[in-house]
Amino acid sequence: MPDEAAATKGNNKVSAISGKGLRRAELILLTLLMALPVATDNAFLVDRIGRYLLLAVFGLSVDLIWGYGGMFTFGQAAFFGGAGYVVGILSTREAGILPLPLGATLAAAVIGSALLALGISYFTIARRGGLRGVEFAVVTLAVSVALERLANAGGQVTGGQNGILMTYRLGPLHQGRNFYLLAAALLVVTYLGLKHFLRSRPGLIFRGIGQNEERVELLGYDVARVKRWTFVLSGAIAGLAGSLFYLHEGIVSPAAVGVGSSTLVLLWVVLGGRGTLLGPIVGAVVLSYLTARLSGTLLDTWLVVVGVILVVVIVLIPAGIFGFLNRERPS
Amino acid sequence: MARKSRFLIGLVMALIVTACGDGGGAGTTGAVTTGVETTAAAATTGAATTGAETTSPPSDDTPIKIGIIADLTGPFTTYGNSLARSAQLAINEVNAAGGIAGRQVEVIVEDIQTDVAATVDKARKLVQSDNVDLVMGPIGSDANDAAYAEVVEGGGKLLFYTETYEGGKCNELYFSFGAVPAQQIRPLIPILQEEYGTSAMLFGADYVWPRRSFEIAKPIIEENGGTVVSELYLPLIAEDFSELVQEVRETQPDYIFALYPAVWGAALTALNDAGLLGTVGIGTIFLGDPDFAGIADLAEGSYTALPFFTVADAPGVQPFLEAYAAEFGEGEIPSGGEGVGAYNAVWLYKQAVEQAGSTDPAAVAEAMVGQTFEGPTGNVEMMPSHHLKQTINLVQAQGGEYVLVDAFEDMDPEEDCSL
Repeated sequence: MPDEAAATKGNNKVSAISGKGLRRAELILLTLLMALPVATDNAFLVDRIGRYLLLAVFGLSVDLIWGYGGMFTFGQAAFFGGAGYVVGILSTREAGILPLPLGATLAAAVIGSALLALGISYFTIARRGGLRGVEFAVVTLAVSVALERLANAGGQVTGGQNGILMTYRLGPLHQGRNFYLLAAALLVVTYLGLKHFLRSRPGLIFRGIGQNEERVELLGYDVARVKRWTFVLSGAIAGLAGSLFYLHEGIVSPAAVGVGSSTLVLLWVVLGGRGTLLGPIVGAVVLSYLTARLSGTLLDTWLVVVGVILVVVIVLIPAGIFGFLNRERPS
Repeated sequence: MARKSRFLIGLVMALIVTACGDGGGAGTTGAVTTGVETTAAAATTGAATTGAETTSPPSDDTPIKIGIIADLTGPFTTYGNSLARSAQLAINEVNAAGGIAGRQVEVIVEDIQTDVAATVDKARKLVQSDNVDLVMGPIGSDANDAAYAEVVEGGGKLLFYTETYEGGKCNELYFSFGAVPAQQIRPLIPILQEEYGTSAMLFGADYVWPRRSFEIAKPIIEENGGTVVSELYLPLIAEDFSELVQEVRETQPDYIFALYPAVWGAALTALNDAGLLGTVGIGTIFLGDPDFAGIADLAEGSYTALPFFTVADAPGVQPFLEAYAAEFGEGEIPSGGEGVGAYNAVWLYKQAVEQAGSTDPAAVAEAMVGQTFEGPTGNVEMMPSHHLKQTINLVQAQGGEYVLVDAFEDMDPEEDCSL
């Protein structure tokens, strides 16, 4: 591959989401995305990578608020896993109007995640004196911890420690190549949508907030409103990806909304490069795949190996893979 | 700089390309195919096809594949290791003795990381990509639910669960080799009541294993002339045990039948701090040797019923322990139930495949029922309920060590699963 490095040249003085290099990286990833189901007959592998694409959407939802708006979150799994629980509860419990049809459970999961984000925003985001940095992270962490406990202690409703076995399948899209295409389509649409959003007026304000919140506020923009609705958007995206992911999993259990899951997504973003959109996609897929492969070959030592890889990458290139490729360079 | 970024792009591409390359293989350990097996296979197929080797089905000289989903990292590492290693030990022995129906056994171990999502992923890999003949594991009952859905319901393959669990699962392709509540509770309750008195407190973590176990325990306690004075559930990993302390003070049970596996030491500490530990008897059905070692002081005097302890005195116990230590290192021991369960499971599978004359899941399942085997802790028999009749050992913690109180042979699982 002789051209990629040259391609990133001259990119990104203006922003991390424009330029020729970016277009080339997008093309390469899109080609890989489309080539995979054609290149292999291994339906399991295609299905497995399809799951990682949904995780990549989850990663995008974090990159949006943390990478661009500086809203560091430790509780994103509350939306991703929470949506799984909404689908599980509404589709398996037979009471009153339940179970709801599949489409309605999916809609409820997305709306539920958005409402949860909106709820959190009322405690954390305010016109003046809203929570920033670590304070915001701690609140999101608390939400994640609380939901995990609620899931554990929810008795018949949440299935306690064992969680909920899904009764619905995604019809013809449930497995293998079709599922992969569904996940890939969602990923592409989310990516393009976020890119578009970040170039729109509210998106620009949001990125400004990430750079210097006070200055944007002093310029007279309604910082709180932009932050609030971007956070809600992020929650809804995580919710949509999560509802599909857990339907495909067939089971949702307390770890889905927990801190472990909320932390893992941060690793993908850090590894790939925050504030790059493409980075978290690569981070999610590569790290998930490495974990799955190495935990089958190295058995009990894989954690050390993955840990060392992460540390090395983060120490050598703190901006992540795509952050490194996109960095400012002397012309 | 340009060179560096070129390298990085190359690296990313390489990773992705590797990802595309082969998701299939992985984790194949042990079981190197040898000439011995080939001859044996040829002999069998030769007899069947009267000399026409070329027409013999290809499956006859390929290895039989056993997939193991075990928690080799995370909170269940102790049990996951015990499961994977004991199965490996039995598979090594089976291979050394000529394999199953002349075919060598290949084992594929996957770490499920004490994680349900990883369990789903690895179960799918073994079933869809590796196309194994049998899946063994996992440990947690949540992971068991997930594996059951993927392997049995989704994949149409055999699932051998070897952990102590609440029972109640019933499917043609599902077999349980660990202890189920009735087997452990029947030996435990009489000795608790004899030593401490008849009023019982049931204390458990709030999930399906304790809850179902207590439902099974209640009639057994009553049959033995006891009464349940209290039933308390706390979260799986509670931080505050004041409710437990208060409940014990108020109801003053003679003994506590406890099923609180995750942080049992913390619960005992709370009782100890409140000065209650000496005043009440304690019986459990989960504290195997490795777990006991960490809290031996606090557990002093308590009774535990499980299939396996290192102090069990069946003739097979010492050879099993020696073989285990020889293979996996001095001081390594299998824990309370899943180890011996996995060991028995492999040998019973061998017998069933040889009797069925095929690895077809339905045929093997039919042949499994009624199989008996002289395992490390004594005779075991697969019941029509697909749960295992086996020996349960009862121990008491005395002076920081487990002391064998009694061995209860041929304990019936009492599961009503009619297939």
